[in-house]
Order: sequence, then C-alpha cells, then structure tokens
Amino acid sequence: MRYTFNWSVLWSGQSGHWLLQGLLTTLELSALAWLLAVALGILSGALRTVPFTPLRLAAISYVEFFRNVPLLVWMFFWYFGVPPLLPRPAQDWLFDHGAEFWAAVVALGVYHGARMSEVIRSGIQSIPRTQFEASVAMGLTTFQAYRLIILPVALRLIVPPGTNESLNLLKNSSVALTISVAELTFQTRQIETYTAKAIEALTAGTLIYLVLCLSIATIMARVERHYAIPGLISRTRTT
Amino acid sequence: MSRILVLMLAVVVAFGAAAPSLAQPDTLEKIKGSGVLTIGTRTGSPPFAYVNKNNEWVGFTIDLVEQLVKPSVEKAVGRQIKIEKKESTPPTRIPLLTSNAVDLIAGTMTDTPQRRESVDFSLTFFYTGAQFLVKKGSPIHGINDVSGKRVAAQQGATNAKILREKYPQVQLREFPDQPAAFQALAQGQVDAYTNDGIQLAGLKAKAPNPNEWDVVGDFYSEEPYGMAMRKGDAKFKAAVDAGLKNGFDSGKYFELYEKWFGPKGEVPYPLTPQVKAYLLKQVGK
Repeated sequence: MRYTFNWSVLWSGQSGHWLLQGLLTTLELSALAWLLAVALGILSGALRTVPFTPLRLAAISYVEFFRNVPLLVWMFFWYFGVPPLLPRPAQDWLFDHGAEFWAAVVALGVYHGARMSEVIRSGIQSIPRTQFEASVAMGLTTFQAYRLIILPVALRLIVPPGTNESLNLLKNSSVALTISVAELTFQTRQIETYTAKAIEALTAGTLIYLVLCLSIATIMARVERHYAIPGLISRTRTT
Repeated sequence: MSRILVLMLAVVVAFGAAAPSLAQPDTLEKIKGSGVLTIGTRTGSPPFAYVNKNNEWVGFTIDLVEQLVKPSVEKAVGRQIKIEKKESTPPTRIPLLTSNAVDLIAGTMTDTPQRRESVDFSLTFFYTGAQFLVKKGSPIHGINDVSGKRVAAQQGATNAKILREKYPQVQLREFPDQPAAFQALAQGQVDAYTNDGIQLAGLKAKAPNPNEWDVVGDFYSEEPYGMAMRKGDAKFKAAVDAGLKNGFDSGKYFELYEKWFGPKGEVPYPLTPQVKAYLLKQVGK
C-alpha cells in the first residue's frame, strides 16, 4: 500500500464549510426524524399493550411492516413512490422546496418509530400489571392511567435502549444521500470528489459521527442517572 | 472510555505515519508473480463496461484491455496473463487502486489534474463532454437554459462540480447512481439530468422508449477518459500506453470503436473528426 496522506484537504478550500453544512443537515434531519420516531413509538408502543384488540392489531401491523423492510427501500418509497400521488403543481412545489429532505425525515422517522415502539413496549411490560389495575381502581380511565402512571414510568425505564435506538437513527441518516440529501456522509464523498483523498475524508466523517454519538451517549447517561427510579433500577449504578 | 480513545487515536496516527514510507509500486513485478492483471471496472455503464443479457461482463473498455493492453503487458512480463474484473464505482475506485485491490481502473474515469495528484493516467481512450438528458420537447436546450431549474447529477462526477461552481443558480440534486437520477428525471423530481454525453446516449438507448428522450447541448466540459494506475509506476504505465498506442496505429482501436459506437453498436455515438484528431494527436499523428 502506497498512499500519501494529505490531511490539509480537510481544512483547505471549501472542505471545512462542506463538513459543517453536512453536519448541520445530519443534525437537522436526525432531530426531526427522532421527534417523529419518538411520537410514533410512544403511540404504537402504548397501543400494543392496551386491552382493546383492534388498536393492538393496528399497532402490530405498523411495527412489523415498517421495521421489516430495509430503510433504503423506505427512502425510495417516500421520495419516488409518494409524490406521484399528489397533483402535478403540488409535486413541483415540493420538488422546489426540498422534497428530498422531508422524504428522508419521514422515511427515517417512520422506520425508527416502529423500532422505538418495541423499546417502549418492553418498558411498559416491565411494569407490574398491578400498577395499571391499581390506577383503574383509583378511578382513572385507561387513557389517564397510561398518561399519568404507565408511560412516565416506562419512559424512565427505557433510557438505555432508547439511547441505543437514537444513535442508530443518527447513523442511519446517512442513507438519505441515496435520495440526494447533502448530509455528512454525502459531504465527505464530495471532498473525495474534489481532492481525490478518500481516506482523509472518510476519517473526518467517522470522527464526527463518533464524537456526535459519544456526546449523545454521555448526555443520556446523565439523564439516565438523574431519572432512575429508586427501587426499580437505581440498584445498578452506571459509570 | 478515555483509554479506548487514546488507543484508537494511536492506531490512526500509526496508520498515517507508516503508510507513506512503503516502497514504490511495481505492478509489472506483481503481475509477473501472480499471472493476473486485476482491473476495476463497472457493471452498469454500457457500452463501456456492463453485464449483458447473457450475464457476461463486456464492453468497449473491457475489449480495449483484453485486446490491446493485455498483449502489451504480456510482452512486458514475458508470460501469459489472465484478466480479472472487479466492480469499482467513482467513490471507491481510487481507494481500490491505492490499496492494491486492483491494478488498473478501466471504466469511465475522467482524467483531471486533481486526480493526477493521486493516480497516473494512460493515453486518453475516449473523449466526450457534459450534456443534458431531457424529455422530448423540454425548454432546456443547453447550459444557458438551466438557471433556476432542478438538475440531477451523479455524485463524484466532474460535471456536478462545474455546475456548482460556475452555475450556482441551478438547483443541483446529486444522486449516488445513474438509475436513481434517471428515475428522478422520469418522474419529474428534476427537469434535466446532466452527465457525460456518451453516458446519456447510453441511458437513452437503454430506456424503455428511447424516442421520449433527447440528449441536448454543446459539451460544457471536456471529459477525456483514461485508465488510472498507481502513481509513479512508470514501467506499468509504459506497457499500458504501448498497448493503446498500438491500437491507434494499427486501426484496431477504431474497429473496436465501430463495434460498440457505430450505427449498429450498442450505443450509436459517431466519432467526430475533431475527436478523432484529438485521439491521434496523442500518438504523434
């Protein structure tokens, strides 16, 4: 192997600007998709445990359908498959206003929502059934019991697997480059195109993802410690 | 945690420090030992290199390697050799070459000054330029009509770079591969798809209904295609160039051109007098 390293390509020219832009797009895309994923996850995760069969079936269909098809296919589906259903002027408006970005947000959010749903369901099911029964006996409706008792406890229990899933989402946002979203991985390839220095560009991308994920993991570890419920998981001190 | 980070940094630094100190490449020596010339080429770039209906990996560039470069390399190493083909895409081809996974990139790679800093190029074996593929009847007839329009390009291609730098009013959408870009054009996500003229002619020839599409515009970039090699390997470059030169001299090159780009070829793309003169000028004619 003979490869002359030239790390200066990362800050000379426009590379720094591109990396920053890619980073911002990745963060924006991931944050919006994460909000969607968490909302869908909480909703469908909770519905999978309610004592009402049609709702449970609806939630099961959503989860199994969306998590068992590759994310790449969902990207193409939301970008190529959905817009033709709209009238032509609406399509043109969308394509002029960043359709690819929003298609990526929806693809990523709906896909990870299905996966998040299982995380939340596991949290809910780890709560003793008697808590739900006790809440209903206190006069709460099923909805109130979920909103006031079950979900707040479940969400505090699932911080570790939830973090895991969120990090996956962040990294999976790179698949959006297939539908021309200029996120971080796209920009590292861009630098490669301009400078023919692939290893430097890939290393920069890798380090940025690593730092991002480590920061999120660190923050979430603090959140986890702060919200740990004494008697339920406080026994396990995490470092 | 911090120990792991230190370890990883150490690996990166060691990697960076060790690599440049290794020896000069000697591809001919390697081929002499293994009897194999490994080329990086494409599976989906007809008619240069693609997998045809009979599931054979064929194309103009592959013919050039097998009929012109191979005999010349065999002469240089003094033994019979085999050609082995590997898929290489624009983002992977230079890493494949520098990591010794392949010896020669024989696809559709444009010879540019920036790339010459990383690799060496053979004589130019094909000459084209950037144009636009549009639906028949489109108001776009060339580079002067695309301002404000949505234009798809292939990421890693030189023409995307030209558009971004010289025509910033264009709404550029870059796709990693040709099928996705063409799909976007067919559905109206974009108004035009720009690439080297020959690539577009190939797409048009392959489309379900070729008459629906037009390749328009003068070349707004120059795209001389060359075969890429590891930098600084003069002996190997001489062997590859000798093969191509022999093809230009003997006329074999033009027979192969006719086979793939002639009126009955896979993609009709006649050789203009200017392009022919350009190619022959390289070998002093």
